[in-house]
Amino acid sequence: MNFICNFPFFSILLSLFSGTICSVLPAKAAKIVNRVVIIVIGLMSAVLLLYLLSTGESFIYWMGHFPAPWGNEIRAGVLEAGMALFFCIIMYLSMAGGAHKLPGEVVESKHNLYYILVNLLLSSLLALVYTNDMFTAYVFVEINTISACGLIMIRQVGRTIEAAVRYMIMSLLGSGLLLFGLCIMYDLTGHLLMSNIKESVGLIMANGEYQIPLIVSVALMCIGLCIKSALFPFHAWLPDAYGYSTVSSAAILSSLVSKGYIFLLIKIIYRVIGFDIFNSTRIIDVLFVFGLMGMIFGSLSAIKENDIRRMIAFSSVAQIGYIYMGFGMGTQAGMVASIFHILSHAATKSLLFIAAIGLTDVSGGSRKLNDLTGAAYRNKWAGAAFTVGSLSMVGIPLFSGFISKLLFAQAAVQVEGKMLASLIVLGISTVLNAVYFMKTVIRIYTSAADTPYMSITFRDRKPYTVTLVCFILLNIILGVSSQPVVDMIGQGLAMFA
Amino acid sequence: MGPNLFTNYGEAVSAILFCIGFTNLLLQTNLIKKIIGLNIMDSAIYLFLAEKGYIAGRIAPIVVNGVTSTERYINPIPSGLVLTGIVVSVSVTALMLSLTIRLYTRYHTLDLDEISTQLKKEGK
Amino acid sequence: MYFILLSIFFPILAGLFLLIHYRTPLSGEKKNAGRKSLLLLTGCSLVITAVFVVIALFCEGEGFILFYLTKDLPIYFRIDNVGRLFSALAVIVIPCAGFFSFEYMKHEEREGRYYGFYLLVFGVLNALCFSGNLITFYLFFELLTMSSMPLVLHSGSKEAVMAGLKYLFYSLCGAYAALFGIYFLYRNCDSLTFTVDGALRASAITEHGTFLLAVAFIMLLGFGVKAGMFPMHAWLPTAHPVAPAPASAVLSALIVKAGVLAVIRVLGMFGRDFLKGTWVQTAWLCLTLITVFMGSLLAYREPVLKKRLAYSTVSQLSYILFGLAVMDETAFVGSFLHILAHGFIKAALFLCAGAIIYKTGKTRVEEMRGIGKEMPVTMWCFTIASLGLIGIPPTGGFLSKWYLALGSLNSGIPVFDVLGPVILLVSALLTAGYLLPLSIHGFFPGAAYDYGSLQKREPCKLMTVPISILTTLSVLIGIFPHLIIAVIHMAAAGR
Repeated sequence: MNFICNFPFFSILLSLFSGTICSVLPAKAAKIVNRVVIIVIGLMSAVLLLYLLSTGESFIYWMGHFPAPWGNEIRAGVLEAGMALFFCIIMYLSMAGGAHKLPGEVVESKHNLYYILVNLLLSSLLALVYTNDMFTAYVFVEINTISACGLIMIRQVGRTIEAAVRYMIMSLLGSGLLLFGLCIMYDLTGHLLMSNIKESVGLIMANGEYQIPLIVSVALMCIGLCIKSALFPFHAWLPDAYGYSTVSSAAILSSLVSKGYIFLLIKIIYRVIGFDIFNSTRIIDVLFVFGLMGMIFGSLSAIKENDIRRMIAFSSVAQIGYIYMGFGMGTQAGMVASIFHILSHAATKSLLFIAAIGLTDVSGGSRKLNDLTGAAYRNKWAGAAFTVGSLSMVGIPLFSGFISKLLFAQAAVQVEGKMLASLIVLGISTVLNAVYFMKTVIRIYTSAADTPYMSITFRDRKPYTVTLVCFILLNIILGVSSQPVVDMIGQGLAMFA
Repeated sequence: MGPNLFTNYGEAVSAILFCIGFTNLLLQTNLIKKIIGLNIMDSAIYLFLAEKGYIAGRIAPIVVNGVTSTERYINPIPSGLVLTGIVVSVSVTALMLSLTIRLYTRYHTLDLDEISTQLKKEGK
Repeated sequence: MYFILLSIFFPILAGLFLLIHYRTPLSGEKKNAGRKSLLLLTGCSLVITAVFVVIALFCEGEGFILFYLTKDLPIYFRIDNVGRLFSALAVIVIPCAGFFSFEYMKHEEREGRYYGFYLLVFGVLNALCFSGNLITFYLFFELLTMSSMPLVLHSGSKEAVMAGLKYLFYSLCGAYAALFGIYFLYRNCDSLTFTVDGALRASAITEHGTFLLAVAFIMLLGFGVKAGMFPMHAWLPTAHPVAPAPASAVLSALIVKAGVLAVIRVLGMFGRDFLKGTWVQTAWLCLTLITVFMGSLLAYREPVLKKRLAYSTVSQLSYILFGLAVMDETAFVGSFLHILAHGFIKAALFLCAGAIIYKTGKTRVEEMRGIGKEMPVTMWCFTIASLGLIGIPPTGGFLSKWYLALGSLNSGIPVFDVLGPVILLVSALLTAGYLLPLSIHGFFPGAAYDYGSLQKREPCKLMTVPISILTTLSVLIGIFPHLIIAVIHMAAAGR
């Protein structure tokens, strides 16, 4: 076994350990440790990705010395390594972009706690990405929830604590359902490892017995993960949680945490149940319908919103609807589109959150849209970044959002029954997105007659601006040369089967 | 349906308990009651797991009197899962309780809706 | 090929540079810093780009792929005769209106932003003309909306912002409807490269014929939004009056024509044989004729000059669309001549209106009594251009309408072959009704007019020269149409 095969395990362990170490370090050192760990893990994932692309095969890594049906396993393929790399990039950029706001948002003595939470979150995300064991996945889902909750409430104001409680409650409902579904699945198949469960599920489907419990279990797991990733009717906790937590937290939560659960769902669909069996159930229709509703209602709520960060948060609801719509199409193309949208949405949404904070900074800290008039002139880079993010969300060519919409539409025309519905809703949602994002862009570029606020230039905030530029580049790269990424996703999905 | 339900009464009970816990967690407005609902829900799942792992007439998988035949013992994995699950649920409960304390010291109520209205009044 | 790229990316880069370098002065900073250098840069960029475009126009070649958006969606540029004619129009109108704005925008704020986006629009328009497949076209179509919107809401007043948003949403709705069609074309065509005789697979036509007709109709409607076709025309009369006059000239002469260009391309993709005689053609003819009539009627009733001109644009554009909908070669020639003629005329008219507003501040028609005495050159140009739009020989407008009517009569479509020319004639009368009174009252204010208050208000050369050039050209294409008609015939044949 090649040394590189240890990397997934190393990266999970490294972030877990560094989290523990951060608790005894002073804030400055904890920050450095946190950055270095993210970079190291990112590099390891990149090496792993290159290695996997060169071999063209996924591998399974035993945790301990027990072979398949009993031991705990890690599995790494192109998609997993790519996701890990992407998560690290977004995580690093989000942390860098929000760093200057941290002293104002979090009490000085708690800074190292913040980095503990971030490291824990990263480790749980990586574990969700790599694990091949359902129960391990459950445990890390809970760790993820706890650290995400911590990230929300570390800024101690009434709103965040309330949001954290609401987030916890919804998450616990979700993980309860997930666990119950998991137990039924274990009961039916007698296995916890994904590959073994898949074999047994195949046998059960062939036998024709225990069909209903199987579907119930799948449905429970799906609903659980839908609740956790804030699919439309379960999104009530989201705007407060994203809207009032610290900047980095909001960016990380919106672009990574929910995506971790969605990625777990993808793994369950492919590696546990099997893509074809999953598509033969009615569950995909339910996901499809809720996805469509999310796309519309999320945007409608965003239009009504007058608080820029809550507006962006509501837009997340719509974007998650897109992803579930892709699942609901039940085709490989839909799946590829959804996974691409995970990437493009993560890149865009964190960009928007980070840019929004730059705009509110130069408007006396107010987040009301009216007070943001002319903010883009006072902070040029944040304005440009927000514009790029908005254009990407609206789906203007050359930005990542266009490619994901293109992929969704191409996937939709291949599904006879769902073609019209998805295309029409895609259209409506595009226009609705344009309504609130372009409204905001025009607002921030309408010059106010006389503003008391200071403007911020590149020199005042170098790291912040550099982060924004990186985000913009990431968006444009995803938008212009998407083909390698799409190919990689296809290859990764092929490895899943 | 009837006989099946009767023979698998453990599972049926755990499912009912799960639903009770779930609705409590979802619908109660009092935070403490919510947390109790959470615990009922988790316990129901552990009951379900334990029930699935138990095989009538066998004993816990601890080697006594040199009997090593697997025929004598119940399936140990569910018990392990229950233990892990309990650890997770304890930590989650602790977190929820600490959050509840925070909210209570701030707003002097345990009612989540009440807290929301107070927050709206603050206008922040 | 380098000149194609240069003519696209040079103005875009120059525009971006202006946007960044000449950003709005913040409160406290000195205003209008470096206006001279801004104008110099803009002027040079306009001229250099024009030179690039002219060189590119004479390039021959297969075209080239810039990069691949996804595996089988290349960004592809190519020069064909349709593009040549459009970009010939653009390369004359944009610099003219640009130089006009040097004077017009003198007292406005945020000039850097205006010229920046102006150059962006120039580059994007060139890209639209030179794009070789539907996806490239769509890309720049969206960018055109995005880069022209700031021109519409330039003044930043609440009214202007609302107009800009209205423009944006209409355009986006239309573009999405078009994109909707592109998805299906992508599935049913071998490639999205433009053709003139249909790119649909024969098997697709037999299998999904009816469905593809609906798709064609949706695409026509979608691109028709930009060209102000009937159910979705409302953005035009809102957006034009609030924009600065040179911007409305460009908007009316070129940007709305992007919709027409799109319709020509879509028509080519589906092929005339596929659409001829179907309900799509009938519905389309109906819509265009309704628009022609309604636009003229609304213009006739409209008291604000720029709004009147905007309604007139709605009506005139549907002349062009009508000619395309007839799907007859003569009518196609008529349409194309009208694209050019209307482009020059409408740009001239809007610039005249701008000159009047700039000098006198008058926007309503009834205030303009005696204006011809005050600004003779401007009003003479206005009158000549009006005559062109009405279709009095020997102007370009006459020739294009002649061909349109001839083509319609030749086409042999029941009812419409006669109805079309009749409505065109009625609309021409209405055009005379809403444009000529301005000239008449302008030059002959009547006995009650107080000649004592008359003062010379002729604007400076920077304004009158562009107007005169545009007016002259609008007449010239009527007198020497042979070269253009030959090119149009080549374009119709797909060369």
